[in-house]
Amino acid sequence: MDDDDYWNTSETKSKAFSFDDDVLSPQEILAIGQKSYPGQKDESVFSSTISNAKTPLLPLSSLVSPKVLDLILLAQSGRDPNERADPDQTVAVTLKRLVLGRSVSLRCHRSLKSKTELLDGAVAIGDGNAIITVVLFLIQSLNKKLVYELLSARPLALNHYISFLQSEGKVSELADLLIMLGRSPDAAMYQFQHIIKTQGNGVDGLLRKLNNLLSNHFNQPGVDAHQAKMVTDYVKLLEWQKCANKAELNNRSTLQCLSYCCEQHWHEGAGNMMSPLTLCQRQQVPPVQYDWVVLNVHGNSNKWDIVESMFTKKDWLGRTTVSSNIPMETLLARLSELAASKQMLATCLNKLPNSDDRLRLAQKYKVHSVVIETLAKQKDRSSLTNYKITLSPQSEEYILAENTLRDSSIKWKN
Amino acid sequence: MDQPLNLKLASLCLISQSKLQNILSKCGDKVDLIIDPSLIKPLERICGVAWLRQHGVDKIYKMDPQLGATANTVRVYFIPACIQKYKCVLDQISSLLSHNPTLADAKCFNIIIVPKVVNSYDSILENRGLYDIVKLYTFAWELMLLDDQLLSLELPFLYKQLYVEQNHSLLSSISMSLWSLFHVTGRPNCILSLGKLSSRVLDILEVYNESYSRDFLNTNSSQDIGSLVIIDRDQDYPSSLLTPATYSGLLSEIFNITCGQLELNVKETKLKKGKLNLVSSEATPTKTPSVMLDSSIDSLYAEIKHRHFSEVLSVLSSKAKLLKNEDIKALGIQEMKHYVATKLQQVTLFKQNLVNHVMASETILSEMNNKFENLTFTESEMLNNRNKKSNFTYIDENFGTDIHMYNSLRLMCLLSLTQGLSYEEYNSLVSKYLLAFGYKFLYVFNNLVTAGLLVQPSSPKLSLTNLGNLSERLPKWQNEFQTVANKLKQLPSKSEDGKSPSYVFNSGYVPLVAVLCNALLTSESLLEVLTKLSALNELKVGGAVIEKLKEGLETLDERLSNLTVNSVLDFGCRNAKSLLKTIKSDNKVGGFSLKPRTILVFMIGGVTYAEVAACDVIQTLTGSKIIIASDCVASGSDLMLANT
Repeated sequence: MDDDDYWNTSETKSKAFSFDDDVLSPQEILAIGQKSYPGQKDESVFSSTISNAKTPLLPLSSLVSPKVLDLILLAQSGRDPNERADPDQTVAVTLKRLVLGRSVSLRCHRSLKSKTELLDGAVAIGDGNAIITVVLFLIQSLNKKLVYELLSARPLALNHYISFLQSEGKVSELADLLIMLGRSPDAAMYQFQHIIKTQGNGVDGLLRKLNNLLSNHFNQPGVDAHQAKMVTDYVKLLEWQKCANKAELNNRSTLQCLSYCCEQHWHEGAGNMMSPLTLCQRQQVPPVQYDWVVLNVHGNSNKWDIVESMFTKKDWLGRTTVSSNIPMETLLARLSELAASKQMLATCLNKLPNSDDRLRLAQKYKVHSVVIETLAKQKDRSSLTNYKITLSPQSEEYILAENTLRDSSIKWKN
Repeated sequence: MDQPLNLKLASLCLISQSKLQNILSKCGDKVDLIIDPSLIKPLERICGVAWLRQHGVDKIYKMDPQLGATANTVRVYFIPACIQKYKCVLDQISSLLSHNPTLADAKCFNIIIVPKVVNSYDSILENRGLYDIVKLYTFAWELMLLDDQLLSLELPFLYKQLYVEQNHSLLSSISMSLWSLFHVTGRPNCILSLGKLSSRVLDILEVYNESYSRDFLNTNSSQDIGSLVIIDRDQDYPSSLLTPATYSGLLSEIFNITCGQLELNVKETKLKKGKLNLVSSEATPTKTPSVMLDSSIDSLYAEIKHRHFSEVLSVLSSKAKLLKNEDIKALGIQEMKHYVATKLQQVTLFKQNLVNHVMASETILSEMNNKFENLTFTESEMLNNRNKKSNFTYIDENFGTDIHMYNSLRLMCLLSLTQGLSYEEYNSLVSKYLLAFGYKFLYVFNNLVTAGLLVQPSSPKLSLTNLGNLSERLPKWQNEFQTVANKLKQLPSKSEDGKSPSYVFNSGYVPLVAVLCNALLTSESLLEVLTKLSALNELKVGGAVIEKLKEGLETLDERLSNLTVNSVLDFGCRNAKSLLKTIKSDNKVGGFSLKPRTILVFMIGGVTYAEVAACDVIQTLTGSKIIIASDCVASGSDLMLANT
């Protein structure tokens, strides 16, 4: 694209980004700035040299006094300055030590009352580290039923325990807990996530685990129907991948598989396992997503005949019309990015009913013939004259513009 | 200690250095440092290789599960507090021990964990039989000054832990960093907190204050920082989800920025990488230049970082013209010598910065220009609760065609939070997303719901059996966003002129932090602040302003002895609603004059460049100083990434 033109067309200027007339193009600025440009030098672990460029720093002693610095270091280490064993630790003392990161034994809290106080205190302070420490102590020293009762009344503590079980990979324990609390949909989803994160891309293993999950957890009352359908569709796709037996398709998304089918098996008819249409039907791919994949796959490999036959058809008068599920502006943008022919773009542009939209987009994608025709239809001689100046002299478009301007059958409005 | 605040903040790294030195001195005098790659850039801001060598580090390795033998026996691992990375290190140590059991008595394994060793790590150690063989150290590095008035803890994993996994184990490290900071700057007179995590951070901060109170500490109110505003990320998600219009904001949309350093990868941008790749094309990894986003070393960046992007290229162009006029060919020999001695280095640096910023701007233009207008228009329609149907159609089309792994989810979340999604709409988007990227991402939507970014509509079938709830569900929450946003004047009308902070979102939205700062800076009294912000239900107040109001219960011990189930401690702060009532009945307190000249803002869960720019407008308008701090600087797509 010719960037100079790009910056200065009235079109770009009136848009979100506007520029002064007097502005240099990026190329010009680069030409001025680009010289002796030292790149990265060494490959060592430490590469940059930030500290040299910085302003000199204050001496540490004027930032904080030595005593304060000692205090800061003490706090980081979590050591207790007066390290003596506290014979009768109160709940408050224990909690404070936990929050400060000091070593602490919870074992002296043996009564249910003091355990409960410990949990309530940790929840009230809100330090997650203290909360999970207390919860794990309760798990060790109380029976599960009592712990679950305490937790179910304290959501913050419960969330921490859930998060702990999840990060530890103790997923069956987590599921039991959630089911007991009447949260089977959450149990199903945590297990799903666990399978995804641990199972890798092996189709057989995934199929086995997911089928299991589907029949034991996603059929429970309360599980969202759409979520269950998504897992069912997942299983269907994996079954298709198992049949396809291509390592590069394992656990890839539906559209990635579809794009493979479009590339390798475009001409196979519906009913054949590898046919794009079969896959679409099986996974219920919406028409717009199908069109998008076809456009990208075939546009990228320059099979424009296929794209054209997909998106255009002749009506009974022999005129070519566009029919695609992709919205016209999006289609145009993508066609232009894929470097489609001007003719293809023109066909699409002519489909736009609103002539202002057509003109704007034709200018944006530099489809000169459509700009000229549209301006002629709008009988706008002065705009067309201006536009002609921007075209390179004696080009095909230039001549078209000239001829159009000379056309005596047009009743120009200006 | 009357040094300029900015210099004090820049020097915080010296405290971090002392903390690290303190740890290294316990590890031995000839050690191998094995560092997680994500910690390299932050560590570079604290110390250099030479400093590490002086303090006993002999060789430095990147942490790798396959790492073999290293030069020295003593190993110091340096990792962030992420359970997977921790376990990976323990696996490595176990395997070394199985090959060479004598190492167990050598006390040669050390793990430094940023920002904190949590207690469950200790139990894991014990559980694996490594207790007393491996030593764990907490390294709570201080806030780092990334740019003028921008501080970061550089803990980018914190958002995921706090909001998605709902694990608050590292929350206290935010309290600790504030506690250290206030030793340098003094304590703020007035603290506003918004959100549950924020108020807990203040409670824990108060525990530190109480436990480490010493008579040599100066507890007078700060000269440096008048007020602290601390806020949870989920209190203002739109500021993360919306597309920014400022230069630095757009940079973070397109490029990876870590620790204030931008990777200028113009080929593989964040936008391109998140798209559905239907055609296999192997990208060759190229070494990309990295750009420091720091105004103190790049004056050009200082000038353009907060500008609306439409102005950036003309600024760059005018700078280039100035350079052109300074053509050295026109100079005589003596002038040339003088030029080389005094200005050449400066000019070379400037040229390099200019080139980088132009390349970055060009990339922004080529990637955003086609979409920017429609995107920001739709976003603003959503904010103002207009044309819900066509907003949904826009998003549905985006999901059906040019879908993006993170940015498409962002749009879905924004619509859900501002106008709501019906059951069918929600599922239509979920289906398209899963077809495109794989059913395995089904759990992502649950994570988004947990993090409060998405509201999952319940199935219509369920609601029929349960008509009682219907009236509750339908109208209320749909407009809750607009109700609050309007009360706080976050949705400007188009006719407004003058510089409004809303320019950071193309005049669509004023970030909540800017509203909070503005209220503090333009009010005569606490009463006025609280009245202006009365739409915020979770607002709390702390600091010296409420000291007088503290009733009988003073110490933590007393507070803890009076708890009931799920009660809130309110140790470091107090609920604004009840405070407002007290003040109204007692004029003495309400009349308390605030007038902070400097505000510290702390966002828990990542701040955006757009928010920084919006606060910059407020500080200019009010002639004050606003310092922004967070655990990291994160764009909307980083937030989405954390949910996957």
